[in-house]
Amino acid sequence: MQPNFEVIQPSGVLDLTQANQLRDQVNELVNAGATTILINLRDVTFMDSSGLAALVIALKTIRSAGGHLYVCSLNAQVKMLFELTNMTKIFEIFETQDELEQSLSTP
Amino acid sequence: MLDDCQLKLPYRQGIQVYTDLNLLTQVLAWFEQFNHPPVPHSVWLECQLALAEAFTNAVRHAHAHKTPETPIDIEVAVDAQMIELKVWDYGPGFDLSQLSDEAIEPDYGEHGRGLKIMQRVADVFCYDQIDQRNCLQIVKYYAQT
Repeated sequence: MQPNFEVIQPSGVLDLTQANQLRDQVNELVNAGATTILINLRDVTFMDSSGLAALVIALKTIRSAGGHLYVCSLNAQVKMLFELTNMTKIFEIFETQDELEQSLSTP
Repeated sequence: MLDDCQLKLPYRQGIQVYTDLNLLTQVLAWFEQFNHPPVPHSVWLECQLALAEAFTNAVRHAHAHKTPETPIDIEVAVDAQMIELKVWDYGPGFDLSQLSDEAIEPDYGEHGRGLKIMQRVADVFCYDQIDQRNCLQIVKYYAQT
């Protein structure tokens, strides 16, 4: 069975100038009834505290709708940012999208 | 390989940018030149983040009521032991001493992590008024002291 989740894949520098777009994408999916969303960070080259704040807002939006948010494919810079700010304790992080698929399809 | 090129020490460069968040990409591209020995890659990554936070803070807070043409000066200096970042703004200034030393709590706040990130990265962190400008200074040693 194919696990069912929506994927948002931002790219480039995830900062304040990109944050609104991410928020809109999340709102759109949640309004359309999505309950499991993956933000795949594979193509994000750099993230600052505003990009991180956008992820926190996304997490709150999805959880308050009763859903789950996952993130995956953090590069070394993003991993460092998550560790520095202790965000590894708040987000459910997977190495790759494949890993999440396997995890969700295993009963 | 180019990546293994040593910087000729002491290595100093500066750039002046306008008050515009869209210029972060340009600042990050400019900072690539410091991603060489003797600066360890992990130190460079942390300083890249600190520089981004310093620049966006200057745009969003220090220059909140300034025109987009207001310049922000960035200087970076590398020597055998440390890397130093300086970001100059024309804002009203603020008191860094109110910032606590505690680790960043994992919370659901939607803003306010920038200063804490800079403080965590820096071995020396200060913000002083010099003539008509403020200088945010971050020093990071390669070896943990």
